[in-house]
Amino acid sequence: MALHRLSLRLRPTVTHVRSLHSGGCRQQQEAVAVDSEPEPFSVFRTRESDPACHSEKHLGQYYTLPSAHIRTLFPSGLPWRYQQQVKTFNEACIMVRQPSLEVISYLKKTDYSKPALRYLFYGQKGTGKTISLCHTVHFCYTQGWLVLHIPDAHQWVKNCKELLPSSYNASRFDQPLQATTWLRNFRLTNERFLSKIKTKHRYMWTKREFTEEGSLLGELVDQGISRVKSSSDVVGAVMKELRLQSGQPGSDFRLAVAVDGVNGLWGRSTIKKEDKSAVDPEELTLIYNLRKLMRNDWTGGAIIATLSQTGSLYTPKSAYLPQELLGERGFDSMDPFIPVSVPNYSEKEFESCYLYYMDRHWLQHPQSRTEEGKKELVFLSNRNPSMLDRICGFL
Amino acid sequence: MAASISGLLKPWTPSVFLVRWSRYNPYYLEPEVSKEAYSRPETELSAEEKEQRELKALRPIKAATSGVTSSVFDDPVISKFINMMMEHGNKVLAREIMTQTLENIKKKQVEKYHKASEGEREVIECNPYTIFHQALENCKPVVGLASIQKGGKYYQVPIPLTDNRRRFLAMKWMITECQDNKHRRTHMYEKLSQELLAAFGKEGNVIKKKYELHKMAEANRAYAHYRWW
Repeated sequence: MALHRLSLRLRPTVTHVRSLHSGGCRQQQEAVAVDSEPEPFSVFRTRESDPACHSEKHLGQYYTLPSAHIRTLFPSGLPWRYQQQVKTFNEACIMVRQPSLEVISYLKKTDYSKPALRYLFYGQKGTGKTISLCHTVHFCYTQGWLVLHIPDAHQWVKNCKELLPSSYNASRFDQPLQATTWLRNFRLTNERFLSKIKTKHRYMWTKREFTEEGSLLGELVDQGISRVKSSSDVVGAVMKELRLQSGQPGSDFRLAVAVDGVNGLWGRSTIKKEDKSAVDPEELTLIYNLRKLMRNDWTGGAIIATLSQTGSLYTPKSAYLPQELLGERGFDSMDPFIPVSVPNYSEKEFESCYLYYMDRHWLQHPQSRTEEGKKELVFLSNRNPSMLDRICGFL
Repeated sequence: MAASISGLLKPWTPSVFLVRWSRYNPYYLEPEVSKEAYSRPETELSAEEKEQRELKALRPIKAATSGVTSSVFDDPVISKFINMMMEHGNKVLAREIMTQTLENIKKKQVEKYHKASEGEREVIECNPYTIFHQALENCKPVVGLASIQKGGKYYQVPIPLTDNRRRFLAMKWMITECQDNKHRRTHMYEKLSQELLAAFGKEGNVIKKKYELHKMAEANRAYAHYRWW
């Protein structure tokens, strides 16, 4: 009963929120039966945890990701500070924002018999590009797609502890450690597809080891994890198989390629060869195969990517536009793509974030609960999501 | 004393403007940083405060140090602690360590809060600032020891401490304890947050040190009359 009275009190704020959106949504909402979307019990949270049902009326509201999904989908895909926050609050909540909602609406309406479309999230530092990517990937996962998620492409071009010359092509280099970690995460995310998809080619790893045509994808992945020396080539083989099979009439899956920090593929690397000369990213097997996947010559899926200046090498700190970060070669390879800008929080989103932190008992300083304190938070963070997170951390 | 000297002095402006020096002519007034002090209307002030306001229009004012802000989140105790932690003038690093410490304390407490049941939640204190202040209060010694010479020998005599001295000792012990007696691979903010949470619960090495000082003072009670002030 108290909840009903509470929702009545909140109704003016809720209708104020709703009146920002088109009338069509409201009529649609009223026409629908009572049990589908109940009144949200707070202004900043929504009970709808399925990204497919998110629409404009959920803009600025937080939805909870089920913890089972977090463990399978994002073994290492979420930003570090966000992982700490999930551990502290005992729940994982993401705000529904305009950029990811736009990409999800496009994904719902595309014709998957045409070549794959490329979506690129770009924006200033700390505006929420990686989280938007994670929201979109969660949507793809809940729709039953096969998710190929590279958490950070920059990790493949720097700090490489082991660099082996490639067994397949003498001019290229292998990175066994990165390849095995990625295969393990891939296996964890896409358990259900491993026993359904069959390979179309025969792969020979050494003189005595080979994978027959028609064997399961799961066996291929296990081969890569157990035989560390050939893991980079296994990654290339997996990418090739999925790319060939995704558009075909026989396959029943859709492929989502999600890459964070895609500008690392066409930048420079800090890995050195034995004679101290720098390695071009093109000479790395993993990067070479990933670049082939980023071309739009395959059908039946989508490519979603994020630019990132934070982990990138030899780029100025002020660069955030696609032209600046991708460089000439990268832009030409990615062209044509759909750029999606991710801005700082709007006033409504800032309110929502502030109320969420208050609800989770994260804002503890007595002054931060006053109007003066809130104005100061707006001033100090400039409504930038990551700056606000850092400031509210110690307040 | 400053008031009598300033009565004798004539108003003067120096030829070289003092910026950030700590030695000022006593003629100079302290800066008032908080916004609330200026937003009070004329009627609310007493006669002395009105006089102070008029004086501010005439006298020069000392430059404010870089550690004070007009922010609502400004805390003089925390600023003092940051200054004590600072080495080689690296205030940025000291501030960073302090903010990470506060965040770490809050993180641990909020995690405990969310995992606890309804009854236990009221007891858990989540505000890192109250924890910091309370821990520092718990570490402050009540009496200190002074080395006083009498008849060729030096005796450790228990003496009363001023508030500033007590606060200084608590902070100094906290910082040296964390720098020296912890595992070398942990970060300073981690060590500080552990020690502060322990002191909040009246346990830990700093509290032990305070109790040892109290015991020494109690043991040397007989020499208390050697103090002449």
